[in-house]
Amino acid sequence: MRTQRALRAATVLMFAGMAFGTSTVRKDLHFRVGKHPTVSINNPYGPITVRAGAPQQVVVVAMLHSDRVELDQSQSRNRINLVSHLLPGADSISGVVEYEVLVPPDADVTLHADTGTLHAEKLHGDLTMEGVNAAMEVVDCADGHVHLKTLNGNVNLTNVRNGHVEVVSMNGDVVMTGVSGPYVSVNSNSGRIQYDGDFGGEGEYNFISHTGNIEAMAPPYASIDVLARSNQGPVESDFSLEPKHAPFISRTGSAFTGTLGKAASSVRLFSFSGKIHLKKRQN
Amino acid sequence: MRPKKGNLTDATKLQGDKLTEREAIERAKQGDAEAFKFLYDLHKRRVYSLCLRMTGNTASAEDLTQEAFLQLFRKIGTFRGESAFSTWLHRMAVNVVLMQLRKKGLPVVPIDEPTEPDEEVTVTKEPGAADERLAGSIDRLELQRAVDELPPGYRTIFVLHDVEGYEHNEIAGMVGCSIGNSKSQLHKARLKLRELLRVNRAEKAMKR
Amino acid sequence: MKCVEFERVLPEYLEGNYLPAQQAHLQTCAACSNLLADLKLISEQAKSLIASHEPSPALWNALEERLRREGLIRQAQPSGFRLRSFSSRWRLAWLVPVAAAIAIGTVVKLHYPMKAGDTQPVVRQESIPAPPAKPISSEDLQLLTTVAERPPAQRAKYRANLDDANSFIRDAEQSAKQDPSDIFMQQMLINAYEQKQMLYDLAVYRSEPGEQ
Repeated sequence: MRTQRALRAATVLMFAGMAFGTSTVRKDLHFRVGKHPTVSINNPYGPITVRAGAPQQVVVVAMLHSDRVELDQSQSRNRINLVSHLLPGADSISGVVEYEVLVPPDADVTLHADTGTLHAEKLHGDLTMEGVNAAMEVVDCADGHVHLKTLNGNVNLTNVRNGHVEVVSMNGDVVMTGVSGPYVSVNSNSGRIQYDGDFGGEGEYNFISHTGNIEAMAPPYASIDVLARSNQGPVESDFSLEPKHAPFISRTGSAFTGTLGKAASSVRLFSFSGKIHLKKRQN
Repeated sequence: MRPKKGNLTDATKLQGDKLTEREAIERAKQGDAEAFKFLYDLHKRRVYSLCLRMTGNTASAEDLTQEAFLQLFRKIGTFRGESAFSTWLHRMAVNVVLMQLRKKGLPVVPIDEPTEPDEEVTVTKEPGAADERLAGSIDRLELQRAVDELPPGYRTIFVLHDVEGYEHNEIAGMVGCSIGNSKSQLHKARLKLRELLRVNRAEKAMKR
Repeated sequence: MKCVEFERVLPEYLEGNYLPAQQAHLQTCAACSNLLADLKLISEQAKSLIASHEPSPALWNALEERLRREGLIRQAQPSGFRLRSFSSRWRLAWLVPVAAAIAIGTVVKLHYPMKAGDTQPVVRQESIPAPPAKPISSEDLQLLTTVAERPPAQRAKYRANLDDANSFIRDAEQSAKQDPSDIFMQQMLINAYEQKQMLYDLAVYRSEPGEQ
């Protein structure tokens, strides 16, 4: 399988009606693909929005903010690669490219960025986002593997279900609303971890931080086996938990453990020095 | 005759690396990471494909593959080489998948009901009316698609018998049904596949 | 034998148990003959589906981590970080918590000169009195060198991230050393390493233009 050559986009044409300034250029790209394609976008500066569109095609609209950046595209059968190629002299302003992309719902998507918001919506394939300062938003996605890696960007997951979610963050806050599935793991350094959901799906939920606070809000009917422990920070639970069979050996720091309901899901809240609070949703 | 399971795609590689696999097993017992990786690479396709076929989605298949290998590696200290390593591993993988299906409340293999309505079209009722044969060979992708469309209970039995090569008595033991049930469900699964293949081909033809 | 009857014993037929009546029926009945041929074909073709798919490479990484966590992989040194701008086989050795000399509170800042062409970094060390100060590791030095060409604000952020990552590792190592049987701390340590690995991956990624 030979990769096609990367094509360099022309940067001087301007389409009528796009009034962004004389140097902003719009590129429209359209790819035909088969089932389960892979779409990979590497865009140092600028937002990337990926939404589910029609099957078997990938539609891209890219706005290049100057002629200091070029769009390299390549397609190898079912695999599409887009790279915003920075020319000498490009910086975080002149190097900006804004992407709006439609992919088949079953596409596997990989996004890389330094800055800009990465947004994925209504996808069912595997999703990987890696960013330095880019904010990340994953909305209404299900079934796939969601792997997010960020240094300083905030991460927001909303209504992400039935898949395998792994987030690693240094500084960025990780906020999850309506996230459930067989496996949800967040590994944070100083970023805050916030969860508002039902811990459903008989899943394994692991939220671990160095100094970031962990706040999890669950409904009264949650069915969980929970263990929370902070080496140097306080832990608090709004629930009265059923004690577990095995004796809990208390080590350094503060902890609580127990079960709710049928203990269908396993919840681990660990922090070195952050505060841990398991809240009960009132409604 | 049917080739026995374990003598399929990975077999030639297995034969050539037989000594190395044995070495790898010994080293894995000592906790050698490279040895684990070797064993994993040797068998990952077979295990993953099985899990994918039985569950129908990549996320579950990956989790189950991981679980199967984990269980295998936990127990590798007890492997004495009485049976082929691959047999041992694949059986473990099947058990992991079946347990998962049970946990989810999905039917593993439906029990034969005498009054169960047969939804599949089998042979046409009028003797003499020639049923169209599935022309030529069956493309792997179209068969894959049809298998994915099978109801879960039929899919399990078809995958275990026709794809993975287990015998009915083995399937009955793993799944917890009678041998007769295993045979009849397999037959229904094949009939259903024939129907699905026909329908899919007809749809494709109409699109042209 | 009628078609209905033939079909009823078809499963046995496919297993190789023929009845003469069945074979006779096949001579005269095209429908049953086609059915038999189709089912045989399906059954034969099924074998081509075995081992037809490959799992994603990430699966091994996750599995390996679990094997380490459970102590099934027993090696003196866990596999460390890879700095991708160098040979992909090159692994950095990280000291196991129990064996490591732990430095507490030592921060090493590297200041890069403003003048272009001047390649000598100035090292300033500020330390809190503690057992032997841990010098900046060669891997960290390489990371900082890799990002040296970036704008100052970005460099500062990478340094801060590096400090946070190292701080986590230090805290986890120290606690794990105090109580080696504490699984919680072992998990923390693994997570700390994972964060540092991510930092390396993300810092280096941009240094390799065109890498797909």
